[in-house]
Amino acid sequence: MQEKSLGDHIIIVNKITKTFPNGVRALQDFSSKIRRSEVVVVIGPSGSGKSTFLRCLNGLEEIDSGSIVIDGIPLDDNKTNRMAIRKEVGMVFQSFNLFPHMTASENVTLAQRLVRKKSKQEAMETSMDLLGKVGIVEKADSYPSQLSGGQQQRVAIARALALMPKVMLFDEVTSALDPEMINEVLDVMKTLAREGMTMVVVTHEMGFAREVSDRVIFMEEGRIVEEGSVQYFFTNPREERTKRFLSQIL
Amino acid sequence: MTTPDPNLLEKAWSFLKRSPFVDVIKFLLVIAALTWLMARGTERLGYNWQWYRVPHFIFSFENGDFVAGPLLHGLMVTLRITAVSLVLSFALGLATSLFRLSNAFVARGLARGYLECIRNTPLLVQLFFIYFVLAPVLDISRFASAVLALSLFEGAYASEIFRAGIVSIHRGQWEAAHSLGLTTFHNYRYIILPQAIRRILPPLTNQAISLVKDSALVSTIAIYDLTMQGRAIIAETYLTFELWFTIAAIYLLVTVSLSLVVNTMENRLRVAT
Repeated sequence: MQEKSLGDHIIIVNKITKTFPNGVRALQDFSSKIRRSEVVVVIGPSGSGKSTFLRCLNGLEEIDSGSIVIDGIPLDDNKTNRMAIRKEVGMVFQSFNLFPHMTASENVTLAQRLVRKKSKQEAMETSMDLLGKVGIVEKADSYPSQLSGGQQQRVAIARALALMPKVMLFDEVTSALDPEMINEVLDVMKTLAREGMTMVVVTHEMGFAREVSDRVIFMEEGRIVEEGSVQYFFTNPREERTKRFLSQIL
Repeated sequence: MTTPDPNLLEKAWSFLKRSPFVDVIKFLLVIAALTWLMARGTERLGYNWQWYRVPHFIFSFENGDFVAGPLLHGLMVTLRITAVSLVLSFALGLATSLFRLSNAFVARGLARGYLECIRNTPLLVQLFFIYFVLAPVLDISRFASAVLALSLFEGAYASEIFRAGIVSIHRGQWEAAHSLGLTTFHNYRYIILPQAIRRILPPLTNQAISLVKDSALVSTIAIYDLTMQGRAIIAETYLTFELWFTIAAIYLLVTVSLSLVVNTMENRLRVAT
């Protein structure tokens, strides 16, 4: 594997806390710094706060305290800042969330036209490039309901890439897929990782982590239990809890 | 006599159950029963049917020229009031539903107040209030008062339909739009409403049909709509049953055509996805 160099810190999360209205504490004094081009895989049992962490990074969830700074922009109450961050951070969801009334290419084109104000032709060209990159250019005119789960998820990745984000968030993107479709999605993600995209990936696909991740974070009850390289996790994790969890998912 | 094959009987029965003939026969039976009932009723009343006088009130030919009768004129007024109110009530309904779903406390309160006021008072009272109290103050015409009352009334109900449609769109759609950096306006315009409209078309059609029928109430403020024209003719001719039935049939014609148009629209939208 070729060595890529990590840049300065693009995401700085400082002591964030998030409590849901029902009293569940999803994140407790959670801090983390992520460098440019770094691929961070977040693992942990369900309810450990991994998805909440991801969703806080692009403002889908409000944090109660602490601070998040992405590419120098603080995620605060300032609407301009929020909008800027949403443009810089792409997100892919477990349930794809494609727009069902639009074709694959329209899904990818929409935000380019509305948010980046690109011309129709320019946006269409970018869309076709991206659909080619995720390997489904021939499905450009299909509606999401006509595509398989793996194909839908690849369209969703292309859609998130269309804004040329600096950071990509992946929230259990292969969990809803049939086993034979998981790899086609992971392959696209691996390509992205090798191209130097900064990625935060919530997943239990340890094969993916082993191949492309720079760091693994193990979370439980809203806290980081342990973090380190994949090799570290596979060989000798310090915490008993981590060992138990890994033995379950490996 | 040989016993018939039970399998055959069953097959025949299931065939009959699925065939449209059964429905047609049921329908004819109901109509026959109704006709018989009405015939009996009017016979007892000693009512003298004079259907031949009715067509003249709808339209006639004088010297080969088509002349619209008072009922047709009334229908035009009804259609005009309905059409304007329909557009206004849907616009009002959409705006109210967006207000109710907004984060602003004042907007939510305003929408809620409007909704409860309108929903919990009779349309007739609202119509009188607008015509006798508001109209002189605001200096608006009789037609405008009627349109205002109908739009406000139907708009309140339409807003609940819009709201239900918007809320029914999966959370993931909002989140996807949000993460793509779409503004709230763009989100509604391109993602939420196009999907919601497919779901709310049937209940909105109901609302439109209600509007057509409720528009008959404007006859109470002396607007010469279909109902008012009918009442005027009845007062002169005593053709009570003939005219009311005719008027009902004309309303039916309007509402059924409306349903058909919406059905075609629904099918088109379904093909589009």
